Parts: sequence; structure tokens; C-alpha cells
Amino acid sequence: MIKHHPTFEMLKAYVTGDLPASLAAGVSIHADKCDECRKQIALLTEQIAEVSFEPEHDPLHFGNVSDETMSVDFEQMLDNICSDDSITLTKPTEAKTITLRDTPYQLPRAMQHMEISSSANIGKLSRARVMLDEGEIHTSLLHIEPGGGVPMHTHNGFELTVLVEGSFTDEMGEYFPGDFIMLDGQHVHHPVSEQGCLCYTVANAPQKFTQGINKLLNPIGNFIY
Amino acid sequence: MMAVRQINLSVIGSSVTPKAMNDSAEHQQLSQWLISVAEQRDKLAFSELFKFFAPKILRIAKTKIGSEAQASEVVQETMSNVWRKAHLFDAQKGAATTWVYTVMRNVTFDLLRKVKSNREDTLSDDIWPIAEQSAADDELFEDHLASNNIMSVIETLPENQQQVIKGFYFMEMSQEQLANHLGLPLGTIKSRLRLALAKLKAQLGADHD
Repeated sequence: MIKHHPTFEMLKAYVTGDLPASLAAGVSIHADKCDECRKQIALLTEQIAEVSFEPEHDPLHFGNVSDETMSVDFEQMLDNICSDDSITLTKPTEAKTITLRDTPYQLPRAMQHMEISSSANIGKLSRARVMLDEGEIHTSLLHIEPGGGVPMHTHNGFELTVLVEGSFTDEMGEYFPGDFIMLDGQHVHHPVSEQGCLCYTVANAPQKFTQGINKLLNPIGNFIY
Repeated sequence: MMAVRQINLSVIGSSVTPKAMNDSAEHQQLSQWLISVAEQRDKLAFSELFKFFAPKILRIAKTKIGSEAQASEVVQETMSNVWRKAHLFDAQKGAATTWVYTVMRNVTFDLLRKVKSNREDTLSDDIWPIAEQSAADDELFEDHLASNNIMSVIETLPENQQQVIKGFYFMEMSQEQLANHLGLPLGTIKSRLRLALAKLKAQLGADHD
């Protein structure tokens, strides 16, 4: 059962469209599996919409030309829109799949139109980059083979993990599909997956390995990031 | 387990006191215009929606984007989607303001992404599914559907409404698929569905009280 949720601030930024695509998709993947957050999102959307379109915020009336609306020709725009009589039909699309190390996974709905690179492997880890072009924010799908894990590490920036399928455990407990795990430099952990899993990860700096010989693994940090 | 975050919601709820919009007559009027656009391609109704929303969308987009030209693009694109996607609006499931807000939010998101990341991908409709705004309602209704006497209540509906309800809820056909399948205009499917749902809700409500 899901124990880790986005913060209230993050849900709000999701609703207003102010998160980068990588994090918005993370919230979306979580909400798909979490009734509670879906309800909060529905409620927030309703409230924010109502406030945004409140009449008192808008003393200017249509047709009452003012400085603010002068440069936009609303009449012309209205005519243009109505002159096209077609309607947009939504076609159900077949869910895309991705195969990492012979394990086929169905891609979450939020990722249906994202470009995903071919995967690279190190040990029991397999990573495919999600090409979102968001600068230092890197997004990946990370597959861990049964019995695999990531050595003890902490984070130079933030690291979001949304568990898509399977399960893994670390010092803080066991995680299940839909869990939304946001970590930063305060957290040190060593995730291990007994049965194997697929994670959606977003990070804005390489992971830093912290223990003994594992420090030599810091290049893996760049691999995962 | 969710206790921490729920405290916040009540704060938001109390800080929001939309006076004029709380006026349900205005909500109903907006919904009615949207339905007229969906069912009759009603240009007069659309121009009323345009007058209500366009200046507000322009103001919001300007604050968010800064550029007047791009803000105007958001208005054009949002209102054009309202015109062409009105049939996707479901008055049973939420307010017209909520629906138009989500259309505007999605248009703005895709536009900003194009500007910032130089990507032409359209991700917003995948990230924010249309059905999301109705999560709370759905659950209520599913409970009713699960009850044993649902079929007997559906059988009291006129045949043409039964067809639509059964296709939509039990065979999970979309409204467009039903329109094709039955050889009827989409507007007819929508209004039959709406009538049937209103009757079902009334009947089931009575049975469950």
C-alpha cells in the first residue's frame, strides 16, 4: 500500500502547471495509483479554477477597450475560432511498452508521448533516459534486476523516485508501486530490490556514494543521474 | 497517514470566498453555454463564453508568461480548444470554470515547454487526464453501480436511454464510439446520457435514503 505522497505544495504546483514536465509526470504517475491524492487534486483544481476566474479580479469588460486589452483584437480572434467548424475527437491509444533486460513494462500514461533513449546497463541496473531537455534535471527509467540494488548513497541535489512496478526496500522501509519518494542530501540510503522493480527517477545532481570502497563507485552516480 | 496534508486543505478552503462565482446561477449559465456549443455548435453561446473567459485568460497568461504576444496565443489556443472540445465537457462531473481552467493550464504548459526546452512535444494531455477533475464524483457513482438493484432501475428507463447507459458504463464505449455504433449525432448521445443519468440518480437516491 502507498505510504509516500507528494507534499501539498507540490500538488498545488502540479495543478497550476508550474512544475517541470519531469516532476509533473512523477505526480501524475503517483496520482494514477493513489485515490487520496487524486481527490485532493480534483478539489484543488476546482478551487484554483474558481479563484482564477473570479469576476472581481477582472474589472475590465469585453468591448470596453483599455490599455490592457488594446493590442489584442478579441473580435477578430472570436471570428477566426468560429470559422473552423471541426471538432477534436479523442482516440484511445494503445499503451506503449518498454523492455529493460528482457522485462517488458507498460509505460505510465503520463509518459506515452515522451522520447526514451535506448538503455544502458551496469551490473544489475539498467537505465533508459527520458529525453525531456530540462537542463540539469535528468529523468530516467531505472530497472533493478531481482537481487540488485544501489550502493549506499546520498544526494547532491534532490532525487525523486516513483516506484512504477515491483518493490524495493531501504533503511526507511519497503516501497510499493505508486510510492512517491522525494529525497535530498539529508538522506543516506541503500535501496535493494529482492524481486526486481521499475522506477521513474528525477534528479538535479549526481548521487554521491558514501561508504568505504563504494566511494570508488561515484562514477555510478553519474550513470544513475 | 494523510493527516498532515489534509490540515492544509481546510485553510485553503476558508481563504477562498468567491462571492460572485459562488452564485450557482452563473455556474449554470456557463455550463449551459458550453453544452450549447457541444450540441449545436452554437456561436452565440460561444461568444458569451469568449466574453467571460478571454480577458481573464489574457490577464492570467500575461502574469505567467510575460510576453503579450504569447499570452494572446494562449487565449487563442485555449478558446479554440473550448470551441472544438466542448463535447468532452461533462456538466455532471464539474464546473465549466474547472474545465476551462484545465484547458488553459494545459495550453500554457505546452507553450512554456516549447519556449524553455525547445521541445515540440505535447505532454500536457498525458500528464493531466481529463477524467481527473471528476475523481470525487466517480467514486460515489461506482458505489451505486455496484449495488444489486442497479439493473432493475436501468430497465425502467426508455429503451433509447438504456442503450446509451449500457454501452457507456458496462461496455465502456466512448460517447464517440456510441454515436458511430448507433448511427446518431454525438449531441443526441450526450443528451440521452444526461437524461438517463439524471433519472438514475433520482431513483437511486430515493432507493438508498
